[in-house]
Amino acid sequence: MTGDMLINYALGILFFPLISFIILIFVGKRLPRQGDVVGIGTIILTLILSLAMFGSMLLSHDPGFRHEASFTWIDLGDFEIRLGFLIDNITIIMLLVVSLISTMTHIFSTKYMEGDIRYSRYYAYLGLFTFSMNGIVLANNLVSLYIFWELVGVSSYLLIGHWFEKDSAADASKKAFLTNRVGDIGFFIGLMLVFTALGTFNYAEVFEGVAKGAISGTLLTFAGIGLFMGAVGKSSQFPLHIWLPDAMEGPTPVSALMHAATMVAAGVYLSVRLFPLFTPEALLFIAYTGGFTAIFAATIAITQNDIKKVLAYSTISQLGYMILAVGTGAYVAGFFHLVTHAMFKACLFYGSGSVIHAMHHALHNLKDHDTDPQDMRNMGGFKSKMPITYWTMLVATLAISGVPLFSGFLSKDAILAGTLSFASHHPQHFLLPVFGFSAALITAFYMFRLIFMTFHNQPKLPNVYSDIHESPKPMVFPLILLSSLSVFIFYTLPYFNPLSDHGWFMELIKAKDSMVPGSPSAHDIAEGMHHSHTLTMILSILVASLGILLSWAVYIKNSVSADNWSKRLDLYYNLSLNKYYFDENYNKYLYQPFLRLANRVSYIDWDLYDKYFINGFGHITKWLSSVTGRIDYDGLDQTIVDGLGRSMGKAGSSLKEIQTGRLQNYMLFALFGVIIIIIFQSF
Amino acid sequence: MNNLLSISLFLPELVLTATIIIAIIVDIFSVSNRTSKVSNYVIIGLLATLAAVFLTNHSPTTLFMDSLAFDPFASFIKSVVLVATLLIIIFTRYSNEFKGYHTGEYYALLCIMVFGMFLMASAIDLITVYLSIEVVSLMSFILAGYLKNNPRSNEASLKYVIYGAFSSGIMLYGLSIIFGLTGTTKFFAIRDAITTLDSSSNLALTLSTVFVLAGFGYKISAVPFHFWTPDVYEGSPTPITAYLSVAPKAAGFALMIRFFNQVFVDGDSLSTLGWYADVSFAWPEILGVISVVTMTMGNLVAIQQNSVKRMLAYSSIAHAGYMLMAFPTISSEGVFAVMIYLVMYLFMNLGAFFVLIYVAQKQGGENFEHFSGLGWRMPIVGIVMTIFMFSLTGLPPTVGFIGKFYLFVAVINAGSAFYWIAFFGAINTVVSLYFYMRVVKTMYLDGNPSEEIIVPPLSVTLILLVLAVPSVFFGIYWTPILNWVNNSLLFFVQI
Amino acid sequence: MDNLQTYLYISAILFSLGLYGVITRRNGIAVLMGVELILNSANINFVAFARFGGMNFSGQVFALFVIIMAAAEAAVALAIIINVFNNLDTVNIDDARELKL
Repeated sequence: MTGDMLINYALGILFFPLISFIILIFVGKRLPRQGDVVGIGTIILTLILSLAMFGSMLLSHDPGFRHEASFTWIDLGDFEIRLGFLIDNITIIMLLVVSLISTMTHIFSTKYMEGDIRYSRYYAYLGLFTFSMNGIVLANNLVSLYIFWELVGVSSYLLIGHWFEKDSAADASKKAFLTNRVGDIGFFIGLMLVFTALGTFNYAEVFEGVAKGAISGTLLTFAGIGLFMGAVGKSSQFPLHIWLPDAMEGPTPVSALMHAATMVAAGVYLSVRLFPLFTPEALLFIAYTGGFTAIFAATIAITQNDIKKVLAYSTISQLGYMILAVGTGAYVAGFFHLVTHAMFKACLFYGSGSVIHAMHHALHNLKDHDTDPQDMRNMGGFKSKMPITYWTMLVATLAISGVPLFSGFLSKDAILAGTLSFASHHPQHFLLPVFGFSAALITAFYMFRLIFMTFHNQPKLPNVYSDIHESPKPMVFPLILLSSLSVFIFYTLPYFNPLSDHGWFMELIKAKDSMVPGSPSAHDIAEGMHHSHTLTMILSILVASLGILLSWAVYIKNSVSADNWSKRLDLYYNLSLNKYYFDENYNKYLYQPFLRLANRVSYIDWDLYDKYFINGFGHITKWLSSVTGRIDYDGLDQTIVDGLGRSMGKAGSSLKEIQTGRLQNYMLFALFGVIIIIIFQSF
Repeated sequence: MNNLLSISLFLPELVLTATIIIAIIVDIFSVSNRTSKVSNYVIIGLLATLAAVFLTNHSPTTLFMDSLAFDPFASFIKSVVLVATLLIIIFTRYSNEFKGYHTGEYYALLCIMVFGMFLMASAIDLITVYLSIEVVSLMSFILAGYLKNNPRSNEASLKYVIYGAFSSGIMLYGLSIIFGLTGTTKFFAIRDAITTLDSSSNLALTLSTVFVLAGFGYKISAVPFHFWTPDVYEGSPTPITAYLSVAPKAAGFALMIRFFNQVFVDGDSLSTLGWYADVSFAWPEILGVISVVTMTMGNLVAIQQNSVKRMLAYSSIAHAGYMLMAFPTISSEGVFAVMIYLVMYLFMNLGAFFVLIYVAQKQGGENFEHFSGLGWRMPIVGIVMTIFMFSLTGLPPTVGFIGKFYLFVAVINAGSAFYWIAFFGAINTVVSLYFYMRVVKTMYLDGNPSEEIIVPPLSVTLILLVLAVPSVFFGIYWTPILNWVNNSLLFFVQI
Repeated sequence: MDNLQTYLYISAILFSLGLYGVITRRNGIAVLMGVELILNSANINFVAFARFGGMNFSGQVFALFVIIMAAAEAAVALAIIINVFNNLDTVNIDDARELKL
């Protein structure tokens, strides 16, 4: 397939969802089935196109493939902004991920959202989101990236707040939007730093400029960290992670699509794309942000009882992994994890959606509106009632825990190898692998906790339990497909070694050297990873089995009582349960002081300045004003301020008078005009 | 080029002529009450003409022994006129003003008018100038008075025909003096002759060119030759009002650009700046004053109007004033800006008029009160009208902003002697905000928001979108227009 | 009688008379006659310039075109005035002033 052909495909991939959005937003309600067929039809077209691109990538098997096409957007002489597409193997894989998960979401939602009052609008927004996400993926420059970045923010806002009648949903959507804005300020600063230094937004030209040293040192570090701040916001990294758990207020398929697989991955994608311009200092900052987020979010996930909250924190933690990988230079491993994670995490979210759907219906039948359908403490024993959901979720859980034979093992292994190799070169950063491995341990633990609490043991609410049913086909199909895609073989073909990530993926995505002079080359990084591979494998299998065992011991065997432990570690338990009081602290130390400052300023302005200053001079003013009053009111106000407005009106109405309606007056005026011009010209 | 060779480059006009003949024949042979069928043929014919315009490619040359120019600029104006005509035909089919009238010949008349505008776009001979203006005028007189039983339409056409005949008479007298001074009717020969005139003929030259200016001013409704405009615009059927405010104006500007740039400007016009130094004309000042007075007049009186249709009539005068801003500079940048503005203006102005047609049908009137609460009752119409109003004001991110932006750039780049024009242009933009936003305010803040929501039929929504989407799209990404104009900025020039 | 000046004077007088008629007459048809005078004054100019300037025939050709256009214009204008008369029962252009301000 030629490059131009690919560009045409990419245009289709980009614009089909937008067309669906436009159709649905304007006439969606009047279409049969409220127009969901339009949404599903266009997304399937998109999927077919991306599969075709994917197929051609596999056939040509060219790791260096790269095609660019751009057009001039703004041309003001010296100042020119060009927008366009960049298609390489990363783009193609990412497009497939986005359209695949989006297709699954469209199909899943037909049942999950059935009967919703804004059903067609929901599909319209899904289209808008897919359009903007594909835009991010296809961008070859920072401007279109930024535009689509914001569009993704908007569609996320619209979808989280889909049930805006619920205060919590409305608040969550606002929180997501505003928190993202904080990160985007950094992004924008980084963007502008790059543009002022290099005069271009195009990735390739930016990298070229960096390689030439047109921007370097502290400035480049700041630009890199600024751009990374965008990723911090979008990928929900510490300290801007607060919005993602709240975003679970949105419909579950949306959580699967945006807040697990694609939108939050945009930050990682950005870091992967821009990797060549990060300085070692910036990378270190990125690595610590990611590593800390990974372990930090994992410790919160342990104690959560809401099934979606557990998954949300697990997502934050996994995103931390990917960011950590970028920071240690193993960004290909990070991208690999992005892809595998998209599959199994989306599967987990659909699974949770399936469970919630079942709970919801059961509770609805019992007319019970107080029990929380998302609380795992109300579940248990669903294994026999929802076998497909159980088995698919189990596969996905094995994958995320890093058990061999599953995709998560391969990608996680690569990341951990990267951290180990990084630490072996820089022993002072030994914390990074520690973060990585302990997060892996905790992940295995809490994910199996989720499985055990939901599907095993005795049902907690027997009357609800008896009403639980397996979900309908459109909801089960995505589960089966995505859980199959969590098996290692899809990523290692044509090889069958479950313990090595060697396969088409690693062959097609080759790490590029950083453009910053003095950085370690991609080859060195790969070499280091290779050396630490065996050690990593042993360690990671060890921590995964340890986590699963612990979980089994606590939640199945009950040989260790979770309650006892939580009492003994009272302080920690409460911290974790309350998410380290982050929202509370932000409220206390950021919002409240800000509000107080605002209050204080208004107090100074209003109470002090107005009361004392103004009133103090009030008498003088009164006297003065009585003197100047006449001048002021009659003079200034009446003639100048009001007068301006009135004279405008007057001028208009007197001009209007000329339009008498008498034809011959008109001709006379025209004649006068001619005469005046001739006189003016002649003298 | 001789007559025979010219035929092949005259293809668009020939297709158009065929369309006219077919329209007349179909009209004669069709059942009297089903005459809107003619419009189908006319639409196909005009599309074919548009295709012919794009297909006839040739380096700039002249046709029919130097009486018409064939160049990309002419093709550009022709395409603008054709697009406007196609939209107007569609408007007419949706308008209920023509109920009870035989509309078959209406379309034929429109096509003849298009033919006249084609000639206007390419005239480089005084005879073709006069001829083309007259053809366009005659057709507009009839179309303005098309509603034979409506006294307002009668009055509009009466005023129009007398005022039009009067100003074309004045212009003709001016043309005859130019002919006497130079002994030729060809633009380039006139230019060469003018350079050799001595100062004794200055008065005659002044008199004649000002007379000609009166004729052009009437066509583009510049103050003080604009007086017919509001009355005719108000009385005519609304689709015709919309048409008159766009297409003949574009053709008039084209003619004016050609006349002033090729007769009064030095050397291979447009590539260099400067009027003839040896002819002591104060053109920059005169045209600058006319431009400023025109936009100020248009805007100030528009504030006073209670009828949205009349407001739009005055607003179209103001927009002619904006476009005139670029004339005194006589730079290729100025012409470039006018061409961009013509395209942008086409979308926003026709859009506003179509909303007016639709609202007048639904609400039974064209005044501001008929728009009150409309934004809530007809959400799509409200949003679209808001876009057009923003665009006409010149707010980003709409086409109006881009158009104004290039006009101001052209004026400011021409040097400090023109800053005052830009200054008045800016003030006028602010003034215009008042009455355009009044429409938006009336739509959203006045009246009682009703529960009932009127969704226009799909076809109306489509037309609205066809006009509104470019109004925003080209406001964000206007490079296609820029490229098109850039490629079209090529005149036939005889050194 | 055989010089350019004379013809130009005649033409100028005709033009002024035409203008006067257009501006002062109340009867629509009389106004139209004024317009005709203006057009014919231009015609005299064209022909006279062509005749005395020793130029080619474009002056005469122009005059012919003007005559044709004037005829067409008169036809259209008269039709419109008749239509106005049918509706308003007057040919007085001052009575047509519903559209103003």
